[in-house]
Amino acid sequence: MAGKGGATPATYAPSPSTKKDKKKPSTFADADWVRPDGRSFHQCRPAFLKTAAVNSASGSAYAEFGSTKVIVSVFGPRESKKAMMYSDVGRLNCNVSYTTFATPIRGQGADSKEVSSVLHKALEGAIILESFPKTTVDVFALVLESGGSDLPVIISCASLALADAGIMLYDLITSVSVSCLGKNLVIDPLPEEESNQDGSFMIACMPSRDEITQLTLTGEWSTPKINEATQLCLDACKKLGKIMRSCLKEAVSGGSQEEEL
Amino acid sequence: MCWALGFSLGYLLCFDICQRRICGSVHQRVRLVSMASASGSDFSSEMEVDAFRRLFPLHFHERHLLESIRPDGRPLRKARDTTVALGAVTSANGSALAKIGCTTMLAAIKLEVMTPAVESPDEGCIAIDFHMPPICSPIVRPGRPAEVAPVVAKQLSDTILSSGMVGLKELSLVSGKAAWMAYLDIYCLDADGSLFDAALLSAVAALSHLQIPIVSLNEEGRVVLCSEDSEGEKFAKVPVNKEKRKLTLNTIPFSLTCVLHKNYILADPTAEEESIMDTLLTVVLDSSSQLVSLYKPGGPALAHTSVIQDCVALTRQRRKEVQKVLDEAISDMEVD
Repeated sequence: MAGKGGATPATYAPSPSTKKDKKKPSTFADADWVRPDGRSFHQCRPAFLKTAAVNSASGSAYAEFGSTKVIVSVFGPRESKKAMMYSDVGRLNCNVSYTTFATPIRGQGADSKEVSSVLHKALEGAIILESFPKTTVDVFALVLESGGSDLPVIISCASLALADAGIMLYDLITSVSVSCLGKNLVIDPLPEEESNQDGSFMIACMPSRDEITQLTLTGEWSTPKINEATQLCLDACKKLGKIMRSCLKEAVSGGSQEEEL
Repeated sequence: MCWALGFSLGYLLCFDICQRRICGSVHQRVRLVSMASASGSDFSSEMEVDAFRRLFPLHFHERHLLESIRPDGRPLRKARDTTVALGAVTSANGSALAKIGCTTMLAAIKLEVMTPAVESPDEGCIAIDFHMPPICSPIVRPGRPAEVAPVVAKQLSDTILSSGMVGLKELSLVSGKAAWMAYLDIYCLDADGSLFDAALLSAVAALSHLQIPIVSLNEEGRVVLCSEDSEGEKFAKVPVNKEKRKLTLNTIPFSLTCVLHKNYILADPTAEEESIMDTLLTVVLDSSSQLVSLYKPGGPALAHTSVIQDCVALTRQRRKEVQKVLDEAISDMEVD
């Protein structure tokens, strides 16, 4: 829908003029460096969570971790698609989409099909599907701005929205990721850290049951590093779980919650 | 809201209104009760308000209209509370979040460089698109886009471009070589009626928040960003657009959508009102109250001249309110 008639001309985003590449790889490989936003390696970004962000949904939540901003709406339980077979247990349907301005370069939103299926797998273990037989619960996420660690934020936000919608859950799901950069493990990585990482590690868990619903590990890892990363993630998940719980409690009494992880 | 069965509906309705502390006189209440018992359907005497609202939505609304009140407690010609927040998205060059009641819109502009068309070598371009992602309403499902989205997109595009709000020449960088293409994307985050009004408000707010980056041409004729720290370096290029960091907005279009039903005009309808009484009339006026556009997309009620004049007068009032909200948002931004 260009302003003038005819085909939209090809466009490009102006790139920074100084292409020095700022010796990035070497910096991250060093034992000691400062993260772009000045956090320490094992410090998460401040989390802002709010339920009931979308009035027309059964339940919804908004999450902001640094510049990562996500809205999740939950609809249902409602009638399953006509083509679906009869089912004694409920169905979960997840969809994640990115706004065109979410990424630094326009319309470069990550493969949302893949993200949708990861979200589905992370959530399904915690939902009591037997509580809504024959029907479907839809979980729709929209990434307003992608500022690193998008997937864990989407998962945590989705479980908050499910709780807001009153869907029966075994526990809230919280998710945190860790990037391995050289010798260091950094928690809740930023996009520039994610793009230079040697390996990534993500956990989605039910903090009060000490159960993991999803664990993704990519890249090169040594066993001690895996153990360290697991511990880091589980600790952060516990803390995030507390924040999410207090956010839900606060929603009942009115107000929102901002806390440091 | 839960009342025992058995009350007469008129009483319940009246109770509903009184609870919202709008209906004042006892006289009015008495009249409502008598009216309800005279014209009520057979069910109305033994039904809860919520059930009545769902089963006989038109009847429910007409009862309210008779009392010059709407189910959410507003007078007929009053718009919902409106807020604007600028700079909601940091990854865009300009952005704004607008809320009218529960209807929420997020607009963001990303600037990219294009080669201008041969027939207009010193003009840039604005590409406007409106999205309704599945999060915004239970009606929208993934893969099945809402029918209204392309309609609103076209209206927005027509309104913004024909109002002369932005001079496309301002988006030129190097005549015939490079110009800005402004991608203005508007996302509906929560759909509760008057989508066009909220979308237009967020769009004009995003345009007034737009900050144009300083750029220069490199050896290959491509446009590159000038970062602040590169200015001191010896190979720093001469910026092409140093003085043009903001767009001059010649005029700002504001709109108001009204629902026409019988002799009533309801300003700024909610999604429920839009679905029940489906004659809509949207008036767009610019800063000097000149008419930019008027949409009346069908519907059973005819728009007589006097009705249109009333709607224009309402829009004129509303324009002042919205202008104030926008000005406050801009001055808040400047203080920060």
